[in-house]
Amino acid sequence: MRVSTRAGLVALLLLWSLGPMLWQLYTSLRTPEALLASAGGLGGGWTLANYGAVLSGDPPFWRYLLNSTVVGALSTLLTLALAIPCAYALSRRGGLLRLLVGGGLLAAAVFPYVLLFLALLQVARQLGLANNLLALCLPYAGLQLPLAVLLLQAAFAELPPELEESALLEGFSLWQRLRWILLPLMGPAVVSTGLLVFLFSWNEFPIALTWISRSELLTLAPAMARIAGSSVYTVPYGAFAAATVLGSVPLLALLLLFQRQIVAGLTQGAIKG
Amino acid sequence: MTNTSDPATATAKEHTTATSLRLEGLCRRIGGRPILDGITLEVAAGECLALLGPSGCGKSTVLRVIAGLDPCDGGRIVLDGRDITEQKPARRRVAMVFQSYALYPHLSVERNLSLGMELRGVAPEQRERELAAVLELLQLSALRRRRPAELSGGQRQRVALARALLRKPQLMLLDEPMSNLDAQLREELRPQLRAILCGGRAPAIYVTHDQQEAMGIADRIAVLEDGRLQQCGTPQELYHHPANLFVAGFIGRPQINLLPRADGTVVGIRPEHLKAVSSGGLPVRVLNREWHGASQLLLLESEQGPLRWTCDGNQALGDGLRLDWERRHEHRFQQASGERC
Repeated sequence: MRVSTRAGLVALLLLWSLGPMLWQLYTSLRTPEALLASAGGLGGGWTLANYGAVLSGDPPFWRYLLNSTVVGALSTLLTLALAIPCAYALSRRGGLLRLLVGGGLLAAAVFPYVLLFLALLQVARQLGLANNLLALCLPYAGLQLPLAVLLLQAAFAELPPELEESALLEGFSLWQRLRWILLPLMGPAVVSTGLLVFLFSWNEFPIALTWISRSELLTLAPAMARIAGSSVYTVPYGAFAAATVLGSVPLLALLLLFQRQIVAGLTQGAIKG
Repeated sequence: MTNTSDPATATAKEHTTATSLRLEGLCRRIGGRPILDGITLEVAAGECLALLGPSGCGKSTVLRVIAGLDPCDGGRIVLDGRDITEQKPARRRVAMVFQSYALYPHLSVERNLSLGMELRGVAPEQRERELAAVLELLQLSALRRRRPAELSGGQRQRVALARALLRKPQLMLLDEPMSNLDAQLREELRPQLRAILCGGRAPAIYVTHDQQEAMGIADRIAVLEDGRLQQCGTPQELYHHPANLFVAGFIGRPQINLLPRADGTVVGIRPEHLKAVSSGGLPVRVLNREWHGASQLLLLESEQGPLRWTCDGNQALGDGLRLDWERRHEHRFQQASGERC
């Protein structure tokens, strides 16, 4: 393939995947008048007012960011804390049990969870879990556990068994083997699994919408829906776009921070180490 | 690695007490198929026993069962007078050098060696002392900060050995520790490994499929085939008095000549025990020859079958070649059972 063709294709691909994001960024920086006048135009009408409006809302936007971060972090930690032992146990089992449990986990992982949210709402009502950020972590961790166990189990299975056997003969306890030998070698897999859980919790909408009604406890997704629907007569495109941009910044930072581990995690097992 | 009497070696071995290992009818089955079928063996304190056999004969399984990594389906393992058959692997005080070395890839040489001691609760000063001693002994001091990926095969093997020594094992197990090294390095390392393994106080079991390596390292060799012990003895015993056809064929290179007889026996005669005679003996024809420098190997054809003859490098060859051997060099086996007569 010629260099120019290749460059053209790459540019097209980038435009395709980055286009919506760039559009949001553009929208967030335009005045409402400029947006209506000439969609896509670059002259005049640039403003930071949309950001000002979002940040000075009540409660302020950083509150939603904080809520989502807390829920995301706790869900991720809870999921990993449960998934790592499960995955280890599963990877060390053979035969029928592993097949059955693995199949069950796969079924649970691909089940469309949206079908569950009404039932979950009922559970939350019964147990008094509504309007509680910590309680929100329970369905998030529960829903992501199957996928996390499957991913981590594959990572455990890929480590050469002699490594653990060697540590076993050296007198390491189970916890010591996990802590000092296995988990450090699974860094990429643990990081990418954790990020998937975090992303899910960051983006989750139906459960967050139905479990949380107090505005200072809202997470990002329902909070942004509120911004979008805050006025009867106009659609606040600018404010909505500004909220979207602000809401994706922490994710971008996280992805950049763990970029290397994510790539390593995704390609794990592609070639023999 | 110098000789065993230097202080570094002494430190590395100070706490190991003289122990011996006894296997009594060790069995291991996988899916009903016997992998090990009643292995009975004894290894004395400070003795190095080689487990020799073709691949798939169960020799690595013996190590794994002794270490407790594989379950024992019958028989007993007695180490230093105590029955360890049902004991957890971590409590057996057994160290193993794996074929792949199993070094922890994310840790430096130093950490690879000291982590185990640290987690076992060895005091920091003692840890440092023992680490320095073993690094010295195995000439690893300059490499202590490297990761396993930055080491050559031979260096990795020494780190694995060092880690096993630091375990202060009552029994040392080595699973083909040299199979990943090139031939020249293997030959170089053999005496060094022997110096470290033999003369220690703990017994060592060395698994290999290379009979030359087994002869070079071990005090005694146990030959395994199909999960059964064929013969156990010194290299000399195995060579001069093979218990059956399998051992006769497996030990000694070039391979022994086996000539079937009409009475249902097989006569075995080593290639170097044949000699040329002017009359009588067996008339042969030269098919091929390999020149080895001091000697040459001739592949011959006779009315009793093909023959290998190791002879003087200057042996004149002619069509009228006749070979014979002294009766005392002859081994006789039952054709059917393979057992020695």
